[in-house]
Amino acid sequence: MITVQNLSKTYADKAVLTEASTRFPAGRVTSLIGPNGAGKSTLLMLMAGLIKPSQGAAFFEGKEVSEIPVSDYAKKVATLRQTPGFSMRLRVNELVAFGRFPHTRGLLNTEDRQIIDEALEFLSLEHLSDRYIDELSGGQRQMAFLAMTIAQQTPVLLLDEPLNNLDMKHAVQIMQALRRLSDEQGRTVILVIHDINFAANYSDQIVALKSGRIQFEGSVTETLTEERLKGLYELNFEIIDSERGRVCNYFTPHTGV
Amino acid sequence: MKKYPVFFVTAVCLVALMLLFIFWGAGMNFDYIIPKRLERLAAIVIGGVCVALASIVFQTLVDNRILTPSIMGYEAVYLMWQAILLLLLGVQGLSLFGIAGNFVSSAVLVLLYSWMIHRWLLGNGRNDVYRLLLVGLVLTMVLGTFTQFVQLRISPGEFSVFQGLSYTSFNRASSGTLLYACAAVVCVCFLGYRYLPELDVLTLGREQALSLGVNEPALVRLYLALIAILVAVSTSLIGPTAFLGIFIANMTYALTRSRRHSLTLPVGCALAIALFLLAQLFVEHLFNYKTTVSILVNLVCGAYFLMLMVRVRAVL
Repeated sequence: MITVQNLSKTYADKAVLTEASTRFPAGRVTSLIGPNGAGKSTLLMLMAGLIKPSQGAAFFEGKEVSEIPVSDYAKKVATLRQTPGFSMRLRVNELVAFGRFPHTRGLLNTEDRQIIDEALEFLSLEHLSDRYIDELSGGQRQMAFLAMTIAQQTPVLLLDEPLNNLDMKHAVQIMQALRRLSDEQGRTVILVIHDINFAANYSDQIVALKSGRIQFEGSVTETLTEERLKGLYELNFEIIDSERGRVCNYFTPHTGV
Repeated sequence: MKKYPVFFVTAVCLVALMLLFIFWGAGMNFDYIIPKRLERLAAIVIGGVCVALASIVFQTLVDNRILTPSIMGYEAVYLMWQAILLLLLGVQGLSLFGIAGNFVSSAVLVLLYSWMIHRWLLGNGRNDVYRLLLVGLVLTMVLGTFTQFVQLRISPGEFSVFQGLSYTSFNRASSGTLLYACAAVVCVCFLGYRYLPELDVLTLGREQALSLGVNEPALVRLYLALIAILVAVSTSLIGPTAFLGIFIANMTYALTRSRRHSLTLPVGCALAIALFLLAQLFVEHLFNYKTTVSILVNLVCGAYFLMLMVRVRAVL
């Protein structure tokens, strides 16, 4: 669905992303992992068309992203960055209604209202519908923004660290929601994520970056191994496969070495 | 009306103020006093609309509640251009140049200035409010000093013409200027109205707006152009307004508790007009022309600006 070819981004001589080439499978959840400054968010922003590549290109359904008009692209790909510090008064349902903007330019019909309600329902946010955004907790606010992105009803969702600053319960809720978006609605989800264990348990595909280059990619079982993660994060990992999924333990890197 | 209580209340207050302004002590004199007052009322309405629209939209574009066109030096550019015109052409030359010529050239100049500001200061995504504020104030000062330098070169007669331009006043507008101004504002509103929903999305931030399908660069270009026209109109009609824009914009956000432009823009306009009317009423009836609208408006709005800087610090 989305492919990148030879994609590079340089800021004033500093290469943030270097010659990245890969393709993201449709209808799957793909996690971009890697240490800070690896170029994960840059790769995501390039695919979202929010920044222009220095070299190479990102393609959506074979068309170069920078060639697609912004208004058309917003019907195909929804992007959510870290939620802004909000000072304005806006109700949750008004925020989610912005998700319909690419389709309606602000004039909502009954179908749009239904889609907004469904998005709220999908994340179990109905009870917050009339609350103001600035009165919510960080986790609830993040959920509200995700609901807006879901209401955009795009085949592809790009999410930049959706679990940032969330407690475990909200993080699990969000990851389960993303999983369901992919499983039930066949949407393609690509996210930047720092928690390796969420990546291991909720994604189909892993793309690992380090120092602006794609280090390795593939399914969870073939990529999240002790050697590969050690190379990526420069930490000793212990991979534990249990009935409830794969756990990558890196909390005590020195024991057992 | 249930949906817009703020809107309704402001509208009623505004009409009451207007009636008071026209008829207070006029003795039903329809030959001179009331037509003169109607002319002044027109200047107040058009000027208020310009200041409110320009300030609120500008704040949305730069995503910030402190900066306004006048703080970023837009009005200073206009005044500098007037001084240069006076120096080059003299008073007769200025009238030869015509209202339209003067207006169009000023608007183009303000527009160029605003593009420069946008390109070099706002374009790189580093929206550090205090840096922008400082640069804006310094630019205003530099332009003002240059204008003073030009003033020293012009003759006393021309100097007095210029002095008249550099204070807020509602008496200077001729019916010809009013007509041009009105036409310009109607055009701006017509062009700007179409993209109000896009402006609403822009309040979510530049990147979120882009990913919701708003062509942000094109939108910013369009509205910067419209703002340049509005500033040229308001400055030529009623003079520089300094801190008024900040006051109007922030009072509007506080009153409406919303950033939806279909609500904030009309309320902002009503507020600006009401404030001007009050100031003019005070000057005419309470102070008997011993003070000026400029002083009153700057006193209130400047104090508010200081308060805002102290209070909002934590939020920014």
